[in-house]
Amino acid sequence: MNITQSFKMAIKSITDNKARSILTMLGIIIGVAAVIIMVSVVQGANQWSKEYYEKQGTNKVTVNAYPYNGKDITEDLYNYCLGLSEYVAGVTPNGSVYTDIKYKTKSTDNMEYGGPSTYLGSDQYSLCNNFTLAKGRDISQLDVKKENQVIVLGARVAEYLFGVSEPVGQKVTVGGVSFTVVGVYKAKDPDSDWSMDNMAVVPYTCGRLLGQNSASTNFTVKATGREEANKAVTMITGFLSGLIPTGTGDYWVQSENQWQEMDEQYTQQMSLVVGGIAGISLLVGGIGIMNIMLVTVTERTHEIGIRKAIGGSRRSIIMQFLIEAAVVCCCGGFIGVVIGYLGTVVAGKLTLDMLIFPSVGMTVGAVGFSVLLGIIFGMYPAIKASGLQPVEALRAD
Amino acid sequence: MISMKLIDVKHVWKIYNEGYENEVRALADVSLEIDRKEFVAIIGQSGSGKSTLMNILGCLDVPTYGDYHLDGHLVSEMSDAQLSKIRNREVGFIFQGFNLIPALTALENVELPLTYQGVFGSRRREMALEALEKVGLAERCNHKPSEMSGGQQQRVAIARAISTRAPIIMADEPTGALDSKTGKHVLEILHGLHDEGTTIILITHDNKIAATAERIVRISDGQIIQDCPREEAEL
Ligand SMILES: Nc1ncnc2c1ncn2[C@@H]1O[C@H](COP(=O)(O)OP(=O)(O)O)[C@@H](O)[C@H]1O
Ligand SMILES: [Mg+2]
Repeated sequence: MNITQSFKMAIKSITDNKARSILTMLGIIIGVAAVIIMVSVVQGANQWSKEYYEKQGTNKVTVNAYPYNGKDITEDLYNYCLGLSEYVAGVTPNGSVYTDIKYKTKSTDNMEYGGPSTYLGSDQYSLCNNFTLAKGRDISQLDVKKENQVIVLGARVAEYLFGVSEPVGQKVTVGGVSFTVVGVYKAKDPDSDWSMDNMAVVPYTCGRLLGQNSASTNFTVKATGREEANKAVTMITGFLSGLIPTGTGDYWVQSENQWQEMDEQYTQQMSLVVGGIAGISLLVGGIGIMNIMLVTVTERTHEIGIRKAIGGSRRSIIMQFLIEAAVVCCCGGFIGVVIGYLGTVVAGKLTLDMLIFPSVGMTVGAVGFSVLLGIIFGMYPAIKASGLQPVEALRAD
Repeated sequence: MISMKLIDVKHVWKIYNEGYENEVRALADVSLEIDRKEFVAIIGQSGSGKSTLMNILGCLDVPTYGDYHLDGHLVSEMSDAQLSKIRNREVGFIFQGFNLIPALTALENVELPLTYQGVFGSRRREMALEALEKVGLAERCNHKPSEMSGGQQQRVAIARAISTRAPIIMADEPTGALDSKTGKHVLEILHGLHDEGTTIILITHDNKIAATAERIVRISDGQIIQDCPREEAEL
């Protein structure tokens, strides 16, 4: 008997015993697909939140300060932070107004998902919030000082108001006040409906023109790293305690990294839980396979007895069973992977609105585990019975 | 010393569960020689050890003690590959319970020994059909065992045993499960094979069937108590 014949015999056995083959495949398909989909979606969620924080800008420190006398501390804080260049990369007030921006007849009031926020920022607003210029120039220190009526548009706003024509140099009105567009930021969040790009920045010193009469109380400080963010919190807290002595106002300083850290912790726990569930589905699939194989072991032992009695050698019988198990399991594994990939893409789109693909390592692991299990249990009768005397195997009934 | 007989069994014992409380001496010191082209009937009461002996003769089981030479070769020294070759080419075994593979059609069941022999394609089909024709079942070749009567299944089993043209046919109560008419048909087939030169060893508890053999071997309690030509045996 050669390999081709063993192969034919194995295929014949698979098609002759459809129920057995399909049930075995099903065990593998369910195990593999479930693991791939669940693990991928969690991995996708992890990636989504990581990307979200990266877009937002990492290592940010939020400063809130309310001196009771309404004193403007912006310049003091700005100058203090300049001196902390080892820890602090930038600082900006973070106030905003929500008024329409108009260009000719187009108004942001008519945007599908609502108009933009217009931030009252310093020259370091873009640095602090992870925006980069696509065109023109950014807000400058001079603009802030001179209260220049200039505006830098986020990509979503620029696209809405100007389409394909050139925004830089054009005049827009913000709440009826005229501003000159000096620059446009690159899109960093183009796919979502409530895009981070639906924004604009003007020098904070123009706040009064936009009806913002009180001084800025909310600031974002961009630290140079994770450790540095914690350091900056301590130092800025110390600075504020001098600037606003006890009883003359409130202030608090906190690192935004804590949200990210909480999120990371949460997704890590999610990964563990889902990993556990995935492991259980793999196991259940595996037990299903074992079950089918063990239930048919008597029947198969009898068949092996017949095959031996009419001249099947141990080698040819093991070969047949090996090929049979491998073919069934690999087909099951393949179908499981296909369903797993499709399921992952669909689940990713539905839950995260994101195109996710399962990792290769995890796929190989899930397929490897169930295929190995299937082959071991598929071969079990052959290993057990092919060494018996034919009559001993025939006695199995 | 190399035996020149086709089958040479010397002081063979088969003891099941040896050393345990439920020990059974199915064969006790059995010696038996059978020549080529003989037609031997092994008779005896149920439980006397006939099947046990036949399984050993057909290389489907091994004796606990004693030697069995088949065609001059000591069976206990053969490898699995050699044994499967003998089961495949030298001995055609017919079981009382048919032992067909249920998922395969009659033709596929008959083809199986040929496949293990390495005969493929149209030649295999031809040989299998020829065997089925001999037992008068060629037109039923695409039926599964479950779609056939007992007599038909037994004839498929015979076709399978003769498909490789083995020189020895061993049949363990081949008519036991059949009515007398189909039983007679099966017996005719065996006699036809014998006429063509095949050695036939047949187990039966039916005296009428035994009476058609050339030689009668009677077993009782695991021992041969009579071994003589048919004419001398009292049936
Ligand atoms: N696998 C076995 N284990 C234990 N005892 C067995 C086994 N096979 C047969 N026997 C016993 O051996 C004796 C001979 O059995 P067997 O050769 O089948 O008899 P026969 O075919 O003449 O009816 C019986 O007593 C039977 O119970
Ligand atoms: Mg018997």
